[in-house]
Amino acid sequence: MEKIKANLIEHVKSSFPEASATNHDGNRLDFTVKKECIPSILTNFKDILGYIHLSHITCVDWLEEGEFEMIYIVWSPEDKIKIFVRTRVERDNPVMPNIDMIWRQANTYEREFREMYGIQFTGLVGAEEFILEDWDGPPPMRRDFDTEKYAEETFFHRPGREDALDVREEIIKRSLEEIPDYAKKYSR
Amino acid sequence: MREKATTLYLGPQHPGITGNMMIRLKVEGDTIVGAQTEVGYLHRAFEKLQEKRNWLQSFTLMCRYCVPETDPMEESYARAVEEIEGREVPIRAKYIRVMVLELARLASFMLWYGGQNGSLGLYTMGQWSVGDRNYILDLFEELTGGRVYHMYIWPGGVRRDLPKGFEQKVLKTMDYLEKRLGDYDDLMFDNAIFKKRTQGVGLVDKATAIEHGVVGAVLRGCGIKSDIRIDDPYEVYDKLDFEVPTAEGGDIWARALVRRQEARQSIRIIRQVIADMPGGSVYNKVPNPQKWILPKGDAYVRTESVRGEIGLYLVSDGGNMPRRVHLRGAAYVHAVSLLEDVLVGENVADVSAIMNSLGTCPPEIER
Amino acid sequence: MIKMINDKNSQKIVDIIQNWSRKHSIWVLAYGTGCGAIEIPPTMTSRYDAERMGVRGAATPRQADVLLITGYLTTKTLKRVLRVYEQMQDPKYVIGFGSCTINGGMYYDSYNTIKVLDKYLPVDVYINGCMPRPEAVLAGFGKLQELIGEGKANGATKYKENLEWYRANQKKVIPTWKRPEYNW
Repeated sequence: MEKIKANLIEHVKSSFPEASATNHDGNRLDFTVKKECIPSILTNFKDILGYIHLSHITCVDWLEEGEFEMIYIVWSPEDKIKIFVRTRVERDNPVMPNIDMIWRQANTYEREFREMYGIQFTGLVGAEEFILEDWDGPPPMRRDFDTEKYAEETFFHRPGREDALDVREEIIKRSLEEIPDYAKKYSR
Repeated sequence: MREKATTLYLGPQHPGITGNMMIRLKVEGDTIVGAQTEVGYLHRAFEKLQEKRNWLQSFTLMCRYCVPETDPMEESYARAVEEIEGREVPIRAKYIRVMVLELARLASFMLWYGGQNGSLGLYTMGQWSVGDRNYILDLFEELTGGRVYHMYIWPGGVRRDLPKGFEQKVLKTMDYLEKRLGDYDDLMFDNAIFKKRTQGVGLVDKATAIEHGVVGAVLRGCGIKSDIRIDDPYEVYDKLDFEVPTAEGGDIWARALVRRQEARQSIRIIRQVIADMPGGSVYNKVPNPQKWILPKGDAYVRTESVRGEIGLYLVSDGGNMPRRVHLRGAAYVHAVSLLEDVLVGENVADVSAIMNSLGTCPPEIER
Repeated sequence: MIKMINDKNSQKIVDIIQNWSRKHSIWVLAYGTGCGAIEIPPTMTSRYDAERMGVRGAATPRQADVLLITGYLTTKTLKRVLRVYEQMQDPKYVIGFGSCTINGGMYYDSYNTIKVLDKYLPVDVYINGCMPRPEAVLAGFGKLQELIGEGKANGATKYKENLEWYRANQKKVIPTWKRPEYNW
């Protein structure tokens, strides 16, 4: 396993000298590249090295650093290693290349990220609305969108009971009471 | 004389679709020439909600991702949290987890039986198999307290130990179900109408399978042998002895055969687990949930459910709430882009059977 | 019996017979709107047989009596549910299934689900639980039968009389409104 990983790191570094690799124990290997190299490195993995199964594409919002992080996870049935390909996009006007032509299923993931995060993919074809209908607010998965405030303002809520008790105080009061004899064998 | 194409809305309210989604079909006569799926009727924004709850509270939301089979979601969350923190799980808890997962597979398989046959008109199967599924749900109720949402597998082990006499009840149920599966075979697989309606329908060949990233029983029905329990083993699957069936053809008939063989293997796994189960504790206690902090890191775990591979990606930034939880179910891959390709050229009357066979479950798609 | 029919309360006898026959044949529309739809197949099949009470499935809204809202409703589904509800013919009833129809359940801070169902559709019976058991579903149908027998299940009349209030609430949640202003 370690020998296969070492060969992979060498192969990738010879074609993409700016990629950096991190090794984790088990069957996981990380690479970090710039966003323009994403189509070519994924084609390299799929056609030449035999990593034919696209397992997952995901996106994380790092609000403090002002960037989105996109992660592509591929898997090979022969080598049995998971490879994570990571890249970063700036948050203000995010534009990513499209990998629709390598795997057709990436179309679904990219439509969802366009709607939920506001990331533009160059040349993506597909209906604009995927999950939400008639949504006119900011992209909802960004960390600066407050969902509780939005829910308070738009929907009706059922008010609580007038004689509602505070749960924590009642639990403390009840734990200080005397346990009756018949219940002693059930208490901790 | 060419006919013009009309648009049919196979809408959210329809007795033939599984769940709540819509397909827009372009039809010429009786043949489909184009299809477009529309999802989003069940979107609850799980990922946004889980960023506001701490590690143990967001575990209660995990089982509601997909309703027919709820245990693989809990198990993948528990394993991801344990991988980030480096927490050890006692060996007895691992065996119990495998037993619960295989029982959930059998229950979901029974529900699939009713759905697949009901879409072809064989309503008797639904009455038999959903009625027998209640015996498995009785076992779950005795073990965990609930029929559908268990909340039993959590980070650190399982919630409580097996009650007295539980193993004998499980073995008795397995004997009964094995006999009943033989009865179902006579009704379904020896049926000439079922064979005629399912052979050659809903074809998925190997090139399409790789391009769309297809997983699970659909991939095994094309002749490719791949199963997460053998390729990337988790819990104690590397110590158990079972086979992975495949079939050639790629149509509905092949997938039904694969699922039927898998049910037999599930019963075999449960019997082995009960025979080999060690003693010991079942829970490695976590600290106070209000103050439980995980180190920085991320994890990606995969589980095999009845429909295919479920992948969960979890990120922690050093606080007591998760940063990002992203679960990709098997229906996300099958029901949006693959369904649109498979439906072209088929008959309108077969849409429901194809949807059931690919394993469409809309809550998993839009979470 | 003839003395009773010639009485001034003959209208009441007709109502009694009509309600008795309606309550023993309730047809449920085949629409699974949320998570609760997983406990409907066990209720309708062999162990907890609901067909002995006269409850069976109906395929289209024109043939159904009861709309079973199983669980939470998103705004996208609410638009379709309203259309289906207004296509159903009198007498019709609505059953709210699960805790999410009462106060929002565990999705209380989600931006896409509605929290209180009563403001958008008139509800006759609530069934509590997350997930309600099949015995609870049968008890809910029993309560609906009781209400029909006494003539008190009149959610449809309430909807017709207060149509402007319901419409105002619905428009607040659904921004692009293409529904007609009248009731079908």
